[in-house]
Amino acid sequence: MNSKNSPAGSLRYEGCTLTGALSVLTQVRDAVTVVHGPSGCTHHNFSLLHAIAAEQDDCALPPLVSTGLAESEIIFGGEEMLARTLQRVADDGPAAIFVLSTCITETIGDDLSSVCSRDFGLPVIPVPTAGFLGGAFSDGLNAALNTLAALAGDGGVRERTVTVIGEKNLEFEVEENFAEVERLLGLLGLRVGVRFVRKMRFADFARLGSGSLNILREPALRPVGEALKQRFGTPYIDSFPIGLEGGVAFLEEAAAIMGIDPEGVVEAERVHQAEMLSSFADLRGAAVSPDPLTLGSLEYAPVRRVMAALDLKADTGGAGLSLPYSPPVGTAGIRRLLHRWRRRIHA
Amino acid sequence: MRDDMKQIALYGKGGIGKSTTSANLSAALGETGLDILQIGCDPKHDSTRMLMHGAWIPTVLDLVRERGDAAIATDDVVFNGYAGVRCVEAGGPEPGIGCAGRGIIATFQLLERLGALNGDVIVYDVLGDVVCGGFAMPMREGYAEEVYLITSGELMSLYAANNIAKAIARLAKRSRQTCALAGVICNSKNMEGEEDLVREFAARINSAMVAYIPRSRTVTLAELNRQTVMEYAPESEQAGVYRRLAEDIMKNTRTSIPTPLEIDELEELARRFAQV
Repeated sequence: MNSKNSPAGSLRYEGCTLTGALSVLTQVRDAVTVVHGPSGCTHHNFSLLHAIAAEQDDCALPPLVSTGLAESEIIFGGEEMLARTLQRVADDGPAAIFVLSTCITETIGDDLSSVCSRDFGLPVIPVPTAGFLGGAFSDGLNAALNTLAALAGDGGVRERTVTVIGEKNLEFEVEENFAEVERLLGLLGLRVGVRFVRKMRFADFARLGSGSLNILREPALRPVGEALKQRFGTPYIDSFPIGLEGGVAFLEEAAAIMGIDPEGVVEAERVHQAEMLSSFADLRGAAVSPDPLTLGSLEYAPVRRVMAALDLKADTGGAGLSLPYSPPVGTAGIRRLLHRWRRRIHA
Repeated sequence: MRDDMKQIALYGKGGIGKSTTSANLSAALGETGLDILQIGCDPKHDSTRMLMHGAWIPTVLDLVRERGDAAIATDDVVFNGYAGVRCVEAGGPEPGIGCAGRGIIATFQLLERLGALNGDVIVYDVLGDVVCGGFAMPMREGYAEEVYLITSGELMSLYAANNIAKAIARLAKRSRQTCALAGVICNSKNMEGEEDLVREFAARINSAMVAYIPRSRTVTLAELNRQTVMEYAPESEQAGVYRRLAEDIMKNTRTSIPTPLEIDELEELARRFAQV
């Protein structure tokens, strides 16, 4: 059975598998993703992806096409409609086509794999999703990353570059978080090669395995990290650095893997962090009230330590503060958080 | 839709003789001068064939597939057969693809829009098992109020009838639901003790056996001649059986919410009568 219980509640990661998969697949800019289902499934996601891309100053439209399934295909089967849509898209000459199923095409049993295996003159790659039937947002995201990871090659070379894996493309601060990782790697003299998957081209998959170090966005992506490690022997760090101590640990771990002496670099970063904190000395002793449930969770421990360093008192009567959906990345993430807090505290 | 229109649905295991019984029932009713509409709700689309002298009429879903549902008129899907019985076949997708249940729902919506669901009696002849919500469509509000189960004394056939009774019991719990079980028809396979077994089964599920249709060579001969028994051998004993069935069904006012049996009970029942 491919049906799973919908988790209770309404958190962001419990949405449709399509949204998760499309957040990854639409970042392959010269490929087209075909959603086999009613046009509403595509419209909904297109709007969301377009709005978020605009927020991130990215003006490209998501390369997304619907088969526009309707009553008649539901009764008689939608495989031929899918084949016609794939041919029409193929005629426009994209580098590849990704194909996603929806709740209804999975319910009526359309065989996507067999249609995709016909010859359209370019790679046509089904990604197992099945709409809400196939699970939730994160299942779609993982299915897309795993499918794309299976396309990876190493181009026969090993480059001294770093591959960044599984950036949260729907996250408001996605570019800022990448910039922080890039900055830290730069301190060690390392350079990012492929961003898997952000603003990629299909041909880039051929060198996905050629980097010397993989950096996962978060520990939940370990299966992808493991798969690439097994195939190409590439070591990985399982998360972007969280908070100040995370930044230091990240530098040390990356340096150890790449055989670099981190001492001077780590010392310089500590100084940089202390300077950053001292620039927020005006907040000292303030009473603040971030959401206690989020603040108390394990992954927000770095935020609690920053509050202790600045002598901020968590208190129900203090300034109501927001915490980011994902814990802040590196020194820059903490700085942006404190900037936002300062506006609220002095408001 | 007229208030006094009678709408009945025949359900039962595949191959048990639903279409033969439906067609002969419709023919017997038609012969009395009533305006009858028979709707075959099975992708095999052979429910009305004997009424149409062996012709395969175009199905509603064939026409929807070819022209789209906007370009279909009542005359395209309703055909006059023996004794003035008007015949419709829902049809369905090619085997192994799409969703036949959804096709039944679309067919009902189209017939409703065309205003084609009229007459004195509508007979719905439905696929063997109520495999999904689509095939329960004839039992839903606004359609058949009386469901007849057709079964022989064979265990598999009783299984199917019992399952359909479950569907009726479930649907009957819904508010505004008017469908109920009107009786059990025994279509004989010539087993010993069969009539008693089916009568007992009917009583146990809170219903009654309304007719016993003996196995007859006349049915086979009529169908080889592409006719209903009513047309092929109007004086035969078998034609008399169908005439009585038609009379009884028109007179029948007893309906009930069935109480389906557990599998163990059903098997025990069948074993008891097999030993007679």
